[in-house]
Amino acid sequence: MNSGINVAKVRSIGAAYVAEARISQMMKWKGIIAIVAIGNPLFYLIAIGIGVGVLVNQNSGTSGTGGVEYITFIAPALLAAAALTGAMDEVMFPVLEGFKWRKLFFAMNSTPLTGTQIATGVFMAAMLRVAFTVFCYWALLVAFGVFSISQSWDVVPITMFAAGAFAAVILGITAKVTKEDFFMTILGRLVIMPMFLFSGTFFPLESMPTFLQPIGWVSPLWHATELGRHFSYGYSMSGLMILIHFAYLSLLLIGGLSLANRAFTARLAK
Amino acid sequence: MSTAVEIADARANKFGHQLYAGRARAIVERSLLALRSSTWVPIATGFVEPVLYLLAFGYGMGELIGNVDFGGKTIDYTVFIAPGLLATSAMNGAIYDSTWNVFFKLNESKLYQGMLATPLGPLDVALGEITWALLRGLSYAMAFMAITAPLGLVPGVAAILAIPAAVFIAFGFASFGMAITSYFKTYQQMGMINIVLLPMFLFSGSLYPISVYPDWLEFLIKLMPSWHGIDQHCSSSHVSFFWIFISNLCLSRLVGVSNKVNAFMAWNRISKRYLVLSV
Repeated sequence: MNSGINVAKVRSIGAAYVAEARISQMMKWKGIIAIVAIGNPLFYLIAIGIGVGVLVNQNSGTSGTGGVEYITFIAPALLAAAALTGAMDEVMFPVLEGFKWRKLFFAMNSTPLTGTQIATGVFMAAMLRVAFTVFCYWALLVAFGVFSISQSWDVVPITMFAAGAFAAVILGITAKVTKEDFFMTILGRLVIMPMFLFSGTFFPLESMPTFLQPIGWVSPLWHATELGRHFSYGYSMSGLMILIHFAYLSLLLIGGLSLANRAFTARLAK
Repeated sequence: MSTAVEIADARANKFGHQLYAGRARAIVERSLLALRSSTWVPIATGFVEPVLYLLAFGYGMGELIGNVDFGGKTIDYTVFIAPGLLATSAMNGAIYDSTWNVFFKLNESKLYQGMLATPLGPLDVALGEITWALLRGLSYAMAFMAITAPLGLVPGVAAILAIPAAVFIAFGFASFGMAITSYFKTYQQMGMINIVLLPMFLFSGSLYPISVYPDWLEFLIKLMPSWHGIDQHCSSSHVSFFWIFISNLCLSRLVGVSNKVNAFMAWNRISKRYLVLSV
């Protein structure tokens, strides 16, 4: 008996089914997701944007931040950081759950769904969450008067793109993790935290000692932040640099997704 | 060495014997054993976070901010943030252990069920876990001091009193964190802890003096527990020895009272959930 399952349909749009399952999972926690999506930017803007902003203004005015208020300077960086971490949460936990904790991916794989479709579905659902986070954050920045709608709307898709690139890499790496005991701790504290602090987020990358600057160059957050600054308040940047930022993020996106594709297929075949 | 049966016999029919066996140290001992074999990685890396904040904000922001006027003196920005980050370090140490670790042991590994199958009572478990959390907070605070002192960020010998002060604060957070955690059943609910802790760190005055805000907002911030901790720290390093002595006294009384309530809440919850199993 095979009523209710349209095999041909599952074969063609299986990823959408996986995404749907992920989204219905997320909807159980929509209240908390919404509180985090609004609370996090609000706290950072008031604390760092205004609080530290006063100190910066008293000391060096706008000379250290390329002629804009400190809050405007950090806004694109905070937006990108929230998008990247939100995306990471929605790929890392489901993948650990799917392969290890509840082994949901193996159950999915026993239907006509393939590894590639499962990976794509998880990624799609994560991107939806990112779209929500980024939009809330951006709307709050506009409400605070930090951004103007007409000048900064294109930051929303660009930040989503950067978050997608980062999520793809995390998706690929997490799919290969078999011992997760310390994976989250090490990733969170030794990779994400330094990336957040040393990617030109709170101060220009150039003001760090030269030996620390490579952290920024490899960090997707730095590329996302630079693009965000350019497209939100017109931070000046050469066409070549814009191209480099986009190329680097595209490389991460494609590399990450193909890694995820191979890792999912191989692990499900075991 | 007494056997489990002897301990249980000695405990039987005494007041509160279902809750407390006077063996909280066994829980601490267990944590120490776990530290040697497996938990040293998260414990060691947990210390890194405030140090990274110190490096990034101290040296990166130093150029943008320069000096800060605080308590009538002009001080270097890095010197300004160091004491606040010391307190944060101690709080982090205590909070990680009393929230996420307790959550995991309660819901995932069911470690406490095993403990309660022995003569240990729920109060032993709560006290033992809080003690361990405080030891972790204490070691973070000492390590942070050991890093900042050679960098010239500790103004005087009196600042060493910041360490016991930080542990007092950590005590308040650890027992409160544990009480709250005992109510949570899923990872998503635990996410609420992060969103409550974030403003406590950001608005605590550790990264900038809260006098930059309008009066009403300043008042709201002063209602938060972490501000008292951080303010006391900044003072201990910058204002006077006498002042911290007084505030330490006041704070420890306050923390002491709230801790009794929190510790009670914590073991009450654990006992409600597991006493049924142990009786």
